[in-house]
Amino acid sequence: MSYCFNIGICLLLVILQTTVMPDLSLLDRFYDLLIPFIVYLGLSRPLREGLLFVCFLGFIMDNLSGSPFGLYLTTYFWLFSCVKLITQLLQVGKRLFVITFLVAAGVLMENLFFLGSFAIFTPEQEFAGDAFTIIAGQVLWALLTGAALLMLFRNTYNWLDTGFRAVWARKTE
Amino acid sequence: MFSRKMVLIVGVIVLIAVNIIVLSISSKRYTTYGLERIAISFISPFQELVTNTMRFTRDIWLQYFYLVSVTRQNRELRNQLNQATGVNNQWQETELANARLRNLLDFQKTISEMVVAAEVIGKDPSAWFKTVIIDKGRADGLTRGLPVVMPQGIAGQVIEVSNHYSKVMLIIDRNSAVDALVQRSRARGVIKGESTDRCRLDFVLRKNDVRVGDTIVSSGLDGVYPKGLRIGFVTEVVEHDADIFHEVIITPFVDFEKLEEVLVVLEVQKHDMASRQ
Repeated sequence: MSYCFNIGICLLLVILQTTVMPDLSLLDRFYDLLIPFIVYLGLSRPLREGLLFVCFLGFIMDNLSGSPFGLYLTTYFWLFSCVKLITQLLQVGKRLFVITFLVAAGVLMENLFFLGSFAIFTPEQEFAGDAFTIIAGQVLWALLTGAALLMLFRNTYNWLDTGFRAVWARKTE
Repeated sequence: MFSRKMVLIVGVIVLIAVNIIVLSISSKRYTTYGLERIAISFISPFQELVTNTMRFTRDIWLQYFYLVSVTRQNRELRNQLNQATGVNNQWQETELANARLRNLLDFQKTISEMVVAAEVIGKDPSAWFKTVIIDKGRADGLTRGLPVVMPQGIAGQVIEVSNHYSKVMLIIDRNSAVDALVQRSRARGVIKGESTDRCRLDFVLRKNDVRVGDTIVSSGLDGVYPKGLRIGFVTEVVEHDADIFHEVIITPFVDFEKLEEVLVVLEVQKHDMASRQ
């Protein structure tokens, strides 16, 4: 059930942010929608399952984007690892503030990974003039909507899981 | 003297005769005596009230049915309007697509290379990179490194090919580089993307003449893009005292935000295209 849900959400998010969102001028500089999902995997799913989908998503995004291969994979992997580490140190649960912070930090982390890779691999190229605006805009969007998205993933999964279990129990009776 | 019976018969006959005479006279001209006015004045208000009430009731009844039918008709008309709007929108989209494709076709006639028209089906999810996914791949003859063009100018280069889809790196991507010439002065440089809506023309020597408004075309020396294709125009020239190169900012002719259909050049011939444009 959880695998089906994860696959469905992955495909939905990837398609949404490669086809619909680029055409909406308001959401032109929206953050990577997969960040809240990676944070959700880190917070709510077991290590093995989460890691599998982190690799799957990283691979898909590396293929769809013009980024150097492995950049998304690296970013998602480290983000997932950080979230897993934080869950061992802190009791995150449903604390909205911590979730909001984690998503925003994830978005910031992704952008820093990207800029870091530019600085290391193509040092001769200057950063685009509006790099700060892009990052600030994305972090702001993440602060506003990141936690809501994550809660949406979590609640939708719980709702589907409960329903699925009920149907399964009825069938086995 | 006369029997009672006889008197009755004569009375009836006289009454009939008088009646006939009065009728014959009254039928010849209309006469009023004032009583009719009183009767009318008395009766008419009631008549009016009843008539109006009846009419009102009838109107409500008819109006109700009318409204029901109007509502139904309205619903049907709305549906028809919605369908017509949808069809109209489809027509408009088709018309716009037709204009764009006609434009592409006209452009296709100007280049002798074999080209494949493709539709953009996805864009880069990251703000830092500028690539698009098109709906043509290896099965359509595409390979890595093929140039992608538009009637307005160069769009990019195929960097990844699958069976039916390909990834195109746009010239505004930070990893893109196109060998280019200033059309007027033939000064040479390299167009580099900045992952914004502008590009830079690097390595243009200060001794070369570059002015704002100059058109930049491909030189063909990079072995990717055919020579003479338009790229963009100069929007800014900055000169640093300590630098041997101009800093030239280019605005591409292609609007990458509205990229929908593109042409992939399958065989690049190394000859001048400028003469054909």
